[in-house]
Amino acid sequence: MKVRIKAFARFREIIGSENTLELHNGTSVLGALKSLSAGSKDFRDACFDKEGNVASHVVLMINGKRISGSDRDAVELDEGDELAVFPPVAGG
Amino acid sequence: MIRLQQDDFEVGKIIEEAKSSGSGAIVTFIGIVRDDGIEGMELEAYHDVAERELISIREEAMKEFPLHSVDIIHRTGPLRVGDNIVLIVVSAGHRKEAFLGCEYVIDRLKQTVPIWKKEYLKDDERWVEGEHGPRPAT
Repeated sequence: MKVRIKAFARFREIIGSENTLELHNGTSVLGALKSLSAGSKDFRDACFDKEGNVASHVVLMINGKRISGSDRDAVELDEGDELAVFPPVAGG
Repeated sequence: MIRLQQDDFEVGKIIEEAKSSGSGAIVTFIGIVRDDGIEGMELEAYHDVAERELISIREEAMKEFPLHSVDIIHRTGPLRVGDNIVLIVVSAGHRKEAFLGCEYVIDRLKQTVPIWKKEYLKDDERWVEGEHGPRPAT
């Protein structure tokens, strides 16, 4: 399946604003982010904590909706999903 | 009016448009680029989602307080010190709810709307840290 990854702010600077990943059906958010980080140590450092979990300050959205909770990175992605990854917002 | 745009906004015009026969108070908030030793900044947004969240914030504010209208315009792109960043215009029958509504809108905007600022210094650049952790709209 194909999943689009949109990145903003410091994450965009590392991996670019948009990537399309070809993933196995049922791949989780964690799996998608690990797939991206395989090619970028900077992204891995920015996105994951020392235990290999998605760092708590990283904001995640699927199709424009925030996903939260301790198991948020276990959410499975579907064909055509747009996963957004970014730091805490700073508008206003 | 809810809008993300690169261009500056016409404050007076938007205030005039917010007036209605029942309006007794209009409170306006304008966020501007402060000189923190910077030369300018660039604002980046997750455009579609940011506009949708601004619409949600307006709906929340109008549900929470007896407001007549809420307008929010947020700029993106390159800005210099002194430039306008965001305009919030809240009209209501009385001042108290207009002040409360306006404060509610800017506080929620800073918590949830996916917009980021990168500041440019003479020989450096830095991302502005978000004031709040991620908190979903309620």
